[in-house]
Amino acid sequence: MLTMCSAPRRRSLVGAVITLACLTLATRGFAQAYPPDGPNIPAISNTEDASGAFGQDLHAPPPPNAADRESAWNMKVEGFDDNQGRPIYQPLVVNQDGREILYLGNLAGNLLNPLTGKVEPNGTSVIDVTDVHHPKFLFHIPGPPGAVGNAGAQMVRVCSGNVLPRGEKGKWYLLRAYGNAGPDEAHQVWDVSDPAAPKFIVTIVSGLSNTHKSWWECDTGIAYLVAGSKADGWHQSGPGQHLKIYDLSDPTKPVFIRDFGLVGQQPDADVANAKSCTAAPGPNCYEGTKNPPPGIHGPISMGTAVNRVYMPYGVGKDGVIQIVDRQKLLTGCTLPTASPNCATRPTQAELLYPQVGIIAMNAENGGHTSMPVLGVPMPAEQAHFVDGKPQKKDLLVVVSESTANNCFGQAEHNAWILDITDEAAPWPLSTLSVPQSPGDFCDRGARFGTHAAAEAIYPPYYGKLIAVSWFNAGARLWDIRDPRNPRPIAYYIQAPNKNTVASCARINGVATCHNATMNDYVEFDDRGYIYAADRAGSGVTILSLTGEALKAVAPPAK
Amino acid sequence: MRLKPLAIATLAALCALTTVGAQAASPAPSPAASLTRQQIGALGKIVPGHSSKADIKALLGEPWRVVQFNDCGEAMDGQDDETWEYRGTDAAGGFRLHVEFNEHGTVHLFAKMPDKPPNGEGTKAAVEPGGSSMGMSM
Repeated sequence: MLTMCSAPRRRSLVGAVITLACLTLATRGFAQAYPPDGPNIPAISNTEDASGAFGQDLHAPPPPNAADRESAWNMKVEGFDDNQGRPIYQPLVVNQDGREILYLGNLAGNLLNPLTGKVEPNGTSVIDVTDVHHPKFLFHIPGPPGAVGNAGAQMVRVCSGNVLPRGEKGKWYLLRAYGNAGPDEAHQVWDVSDPAAPKFIVTIVSGLSNTHKSWWECDTGIAYLVAGSKADGWHQSGPGQHLKIYDLSDPTKPVFIRDFGLVGQQPDADVANAKSCTAAPGPNCYEGTKNPPPGIHGPISMGTAVNRVYMPYGVGKDGVIQIVDRQKLLTGCTLPTASPNCATRPTQAELLYPQVGIIAMNAENGGHTSMPVLGVPMPAEQAHFVDGKPQKKDLLVVVSESTANNCFGQAEHNAWILDITDEAAPWPLSTLSVPQSPGDFCDRGARFGTHAAAEAIYPPYYGKLIAVSWFNAGARLWDIRDPRNPRPIAYYIQAPNKNTVASCARINGVATCHNATMNDYVEFDDRGYIYAADRAGSGVTILSLTGEALKAVAPPAK
Repeated sequence: MRLKPLAIATLAALCALTTVGAQAASPAPSPAASLTRQQIGALGKIVPGHSSKADIKALLGEPWRVVQFNDCGEAMDGQDDETWEYRGTDAAGGFRLHVEFNEHGTVHLFAKMPDKPPNGEGTKAAVEPGGSSMGMSM
């Protein structure tokens, strides 16, 4: 197999199949070792020459088809599920004892579940995608009943009981947000050992007014829940949410560790008199450009070895990106010097204690996703620079969410690659952007612009490809092997279908609605399949790489 | 073949039990598969700025789908509106009726969306007068 995998690549279907097979085989067996399942970070090989992207055959992305037709470039549709017509927020694919299970966190609403014959509030969908060509919808775990505006279960994480330190061996556990912005939202744990028959286990925390995208380290059990309540006293502009950290090493018995957020958000901050920590650092200041700073969207922990948690604040405006020392974050309130209420009402100094680095964004951009890509070879710096040895950089892909339909009312939203090699001073390296034309995306209806970056670590893609959801411009992939010069390398735009929710906008008094798909999230599974989930109710499309995109992730030739 | 009275009674009882069982298992009214011709003819009674959820339900029954896109806490104006959708078919083909409510439960926008608009073109929507010049939905 090594011989075949090392064979010279050829521009042929056989070559593509061999490459895909090699990628799959190369990752099977140790796929559980990477965050969130383990502490290891995949080593990234340099497959570029010294000229980097300059030496590549830079094909311009082809213009997309008309808005009512599917468009694909260097990606191929392998499968599809309509998700019963429920609008999707987040997809997550888990290799569950050999079965590939797709979990979908859904936005609020309700719809008939054909499996039960009941109208169910949108919650969590469970789909067997082992055979990507024939996905099988197994179960829908309903979301909260009551007012639709409070509902949905947008976020989902799954850990194995074999990996969790005190989980029951053989079991699988699902962590999900229960409700989004109502008066009594929660985070829950379910037993999904039989994905066709999930069983409720426990509510971790309830009485929340906000939930969002949590992170769960399976190998330690530490869960970083995005949450907020009217009564907790924390201050945020925009999304009213901060971190509530729990030990879910035994997911049936949650143990609270602490609350955390940016300086200026703590309950005892004197918001009315706070000054900018940059312009006027002092005992009562706020980080970033907005007082109080906006809420966190979704942290990503790189686990015990890297010992860092990456935290984006602000979603789509007034953003702040923060890098935090994981160990100090988790143990800071157990220090002998900690204040009596450190866990729930930390002082400014206690919030600063684990902070390693921070960078403020401007008012037009917010932190939605901050995905670390660590140890990326710099192809142009394999000799001559620094000490003459091959150079690598740690990168952070930061995405700001576009929130306007038809582009009206806000600036263009993009994604950026930050150089975080010097963690104390993150610095932008390059921009990932999609032009609104060709494609006339601003006139297609719905949102045009960035939403989120893929968060799954699939070693063959890690450090080589970045996938970003671009709403009506679809799932967008970049070749980042030369991080200073990322190049677009693949995209997929789903055609609207009979379940696509119309997107409407009123501009200058004229209201217009469009049938437009909105790619909300792109995610990878451990076979390299790519899942493009639609926010507008059009379902989830399963894709594979082809052409130049497949070549970009091929192992280095021996 | 004529059924005996006992068999008829048994069958009737079974049917009744089945019906009760089905109702118990489905607490929410099932949405109609498609709007009737009569309901389609009554769409002109929907008045943005005046019609309430109760009005819409009385006119059209339960919606096929309800959606609400509030997330991230950063929705633009109108994006956290509740939307009800109905399916229908008329002489022009299949369509969806898209009805958006404001935070007071009053219709502020509705549109009859063709399932297959030519070239993905937009469809004009009826809106309540005097709204923001950039009211967004979804």
